[in-house]
Amino acid sequence: MDDVSLTIAEGEFFAMLGPSGSGKTTCLRLISGFEKPTSGVVRIFGEDMGAVPPNQRQVNTVFQDYALFPHMNVRDNVSYGPMVRGVDRRTRLAEAERLLALVHLDGFGDRKPAQLSGGQRQRVALARALINRPRVLLLDEPLGALDLKLREAMQDELKKLQRELGITFVFVTHDQGEALSMADRVAVFSQGRIAQVGPAAEIYARPANRFVADFVGSSNILPPLMAAAFGAPGAWASLRPEALRIVPAEGARIRGRVTGARYLGAGTRLAVAVSGHSGKEEAEIAVLVPAAQMVPSEGAMVGIDWDTGAVHPMEPA
Amino acid sequence: MKRILTATTALAMALPSITVAQVKELGAGEGEVSIVAWPGYIERGETDKAYDWVTKFEEKTGCKVSIKTANTSDEMVALMNEGGFDLVTASGDASLRLVAGKRVQPVNIDLIPSWKNIDDRLKDAPWHTVDGVHYGVPYQWGPNVLAYNKDVFKDAPPKSWSVVFEEQTLPDGKSNKGRVQAYDGPIYIADAALYLMAHKPDLGIKSPYELNEDQYKAALDLLRGQRALVGRYWHDAMIQVDDFKNEGVAASSSWPFQVGLLASEKFPIGSVVPEEGATGWADTTMMAVDAPHPNCSYMWMEHTLSSNLQSDLSVWFGANPVVPAACEDKSGMQTKEGCAANGMGDFEKIHFWTTPTAKCSTGDCVPYYRWVSDYIAVIGGR
Amino acid sequence: MSDLHASLPARGLWDRLTALFWRRPGLLVGVLIAAPLLWLGVVYVGSLIALLVQSFYSIDEFSGVVQREFTLKTYAELLRPANADIILRTVTMAAAVTVASAILAFPIAYYAARFAKGRWKAAFYLGIMLPLWSSYLVKVYAWKMILSKEGIISWAANGIGAGAVLDALLALPGIGGNSLSTSYIGTFLVFVYVWLPYMILPMQASLERVPQSMLEASADLGAGGLRTLWSVILPLALPGVIAGSIFTFSLTLGDYIIPQIIGNSANFIGMAVYQLQGTAGNIPLAAAFAVVPIVIMLVYLGIARKLGAFDAL
Repeated sequence: MDDVSLTIAEGEFFAMLGPSGSGKTTCLRLISGFEKPTSGVVRIFGEDMGAVPPNQRQVNTVFQDYALFPHMNVRDNVSYGPMVRGVDRRTRLAEAERLLALVHLDGFGDRKPAQLSGGQRQRVALARALINRPRVLLLDEPLGALDLKLREAMQDELKKLQRELGITFVFVTHDQGEALSMADRVAVFSQGRIAQVGPAAEIYARPANRFVADFVGSSNILPPLMAAAFGAPGAWASLRPEALRIVPAEGARIRGRVTGARYLGAGTRLAVAVSGHSGKEEAEIAVLVPAAQMVPSEGAMVGIDWDTGAVHPMEPA
Repeated sequence: MKRILTATTALAMALPSITVAQVKELGAGEGEVSIVAWPGYIERGETDKAYDWVTKFEEKTGCKVSIKTANTSDEMVALMNEGGFDLVTASGDASLRLVAGKRVQPVNIDLIPSWKNIDDRLKDAPWHTVDGVHYGVPYQWGPNVLAYNKDVFKDAPPKSWSVVFEEQTLPDGKSNKGRVQAYDGPIYIADAALYLMAHKPDLGIKSPYELNEDQYKAALDLLRGQRALVGRYWHDAMIQVDDFKNEGVAASSSWPFQVGLLASEKFPIGSVVPEEGATGWADTTMMAVDAPHPNCSYMWMEHTLSSNLQSDLSVWFGANPVVPAACEDKSGMQTKEGCAANGMGDFEKIHFWTTPTAKCSTGDCVPYYRWVSDYIAVIGGR
Repeated sequence: MSDLHASLPARGLWDRLTALFWRRPGLLVGVLIAAPLLWLGVVYVGSLIALLVQSFYSIDEFSGVVQREFTLKTYAELLRPANADIILRTVTMAAAVTVASAILAFPIAYYAARFAKGRWKAAFYLGIMLPLWSSYLVKVYAWKMILSKEGIISWAANGIGAGAVLDALLALPGIGGNSLSTSYIGTFLVFVYVWLPYMILPMQASLERVPQSMLEASADLGAGGLRTLWSVILPLALPGVIAGSIFTFSLTLGDYIIPQIIGNSANFIGMAVYQLQGTAGNIPLAAAFAVVPIVIMLVYLGIARKLGAFDAL
């Protein structure tokens, strides 16, 4: 990691998004204390963590593989934190029950982790991390191992939980949909650096550079000459497929030939080959056609129209 | 009836009533002979060039000698029961078992010209002669001597086994506690009995291998007292040699073999046959009942008596030749002094190892298997 | 039609055999394991049964002849003070050796599993395995020299002025003796040396299987190193510890060479079996003695199972 400077506000749901190897997990481990920075400082609530070992930070982690202790039952797993702090048995078991109820696992206390489903394990890991009342909760790809439906349900639940508890959640994921749907703010990591930080909507609508545009959503990335054809000369630009409309070829600002179509259920994604002003440069533009509209057949000449504000100029790298 | 039957020892029951046919005359050699022997008993110059009593025999008779070594008497008996071997160098605790089990055949001494040279004291020894029939040719014998460290005893060699049986101050001014050893085998009970034979005559011990309950108990008591003096019991000759050198052992029952080895390393070692006498062992070359190569077997038996074997073997093993002439006839390396050192003159004081049996010459005796478990108990501190 | 038939290749015996095995997979497995199963059955189970049967015979007090009638008399003999001593002595030694091996092995195994990398790991394996390559007897004899009264340990102890400590150690009742080499302490030391690798290797394997994230989770929840060791690492490494202890415990139970060469000649189970079956011809008692370690190991495995040592298998 190199030159990463990041400030996360208290009570925020913050996502760190990036492909694997981009440094997002390392950043998380710097916060939890499992990695030490070679240079630079980690501060939690203003306090320098340079000399504070992981077990003394008010930070807890939900691990990617959950790291539940296989030899302990669910209740003992959850009450591990209080046990370490020397809380008496009755109090800590009662506390564990309370947290299990919070994650909807009442009555599962006697089971061993091996007897739980993936989603249940995830909740146990969550309860175990929350029992220590951390000021920051770190989640390392917490939903990665779950199937799609369960993942969506857990996304809502996590979001709800975070709002209820008011704890800062820092969330690592490589799934841009997850990051955008859950987080208040998102940091996009690329090759050990932060490519962009900002609210989810801004990241989506105004990617700062080609990498973000490419990684978040599925924007059309226009090289400068092509961008000029779309009315934004002199720079690279991004253009969302859903911001484009198919119009009759006659009199359209830009025309092109349909080269492919992919049916997505909620709409159809068309690939349209267009030429720039000089006719030399060519590009394939993705256009999302809503389900209600008619989809032109392959090989048809179509026109493309857009709102001027949708073309977003950006940094080349 | 059954009770009486089982009360008879296996040995007594199995004694042959009919003599097995023996070889009447010798033919040509069969080209080979296979022998079961103690390690180091049959040397062909491979361990040490100077000790070879096989090569010449093979050249002379054309009988190729193959040797199977065995480490215990039981192994020897087991090998002979398996069959396929011609000869075995059996000790006193195996020889009678082999005779009783009909695994060996009588030897026709007329076919062994050198028989006449055998020590008269061994010709009819009971461990190979049953009802006047010879079941083998004596091979060699040796005493279990009292070995002592000359630095400890200075010029006054111990006269009695008491140095290993009774706590006392040795000539170097220190107690013998922790500085003596005893043999780690049940047969050592006989050594205790031998000591009692001399020192407690009212027990009436006639033979150290034939003990009634009272005599046996007295021997065990003596050994229990000895346990407090003994640091380690020995059964491996090389370990004992090492213990003399590194453990500060002052005195122990031992074999001339260890004494010779230590002396050859210039270690201040001496040995005596004390006034009580000593136990000892005597081995016999016996011939399997179904020996596949009888002619070569007879040639080998004659060879054991008539060649350099007796002389060199007695040097090699620290034992005594069964042919007295071998001490002086320069057939090998043995000398008169060497024989004396190995205990040649102490024959009358030696009580040779035999297996104690329930039925003995004095009536009922404590059998060997009880010696075993009781000696284990003694060493274990009971 | 006939052309079609002709186009099929002629099916040889091998093809038909292959087809048969394909249709009946159990048959192939049966053929393949028949020989090892037979071997296992006859050689292992057979000899075990023979041993067991022998132990129910008895020896006639009078003649020393084995009586082939079933009786528990021989087992009762095991309870005689002298024999019970042997069993107790052996089990105590085995337990002491196991505990000491576990304590010694853990830090070594832990280092190897968690920290040693690349070359160091290779060096570790070499260091652990190397003693196993040399003859067991050579090692034991070497230790006899090291531990002897005039050996290097007492020489070094005297050299640094610790001779009195060594003497005090050897003066301990019960376990002391004339020198290290003739005391139980010496026997114990050599046992620990000889069996230690059998404790380290399974321990190291089980420690390696404890995921790093478990340790991080424990630290994350506020646990210090010792707490993590006790509550997470040890329970998770338990299968390895148990596996190692099965080795050290059973190997010590059965060994008859070391106590013969090092120690005060007092019998261990193995030595008793050796002597009783050999020179004494008391096969029933030897068999009964031989059954003792088997029973002890079964009890031991039962307890280990209760403790959940095999849950991870």
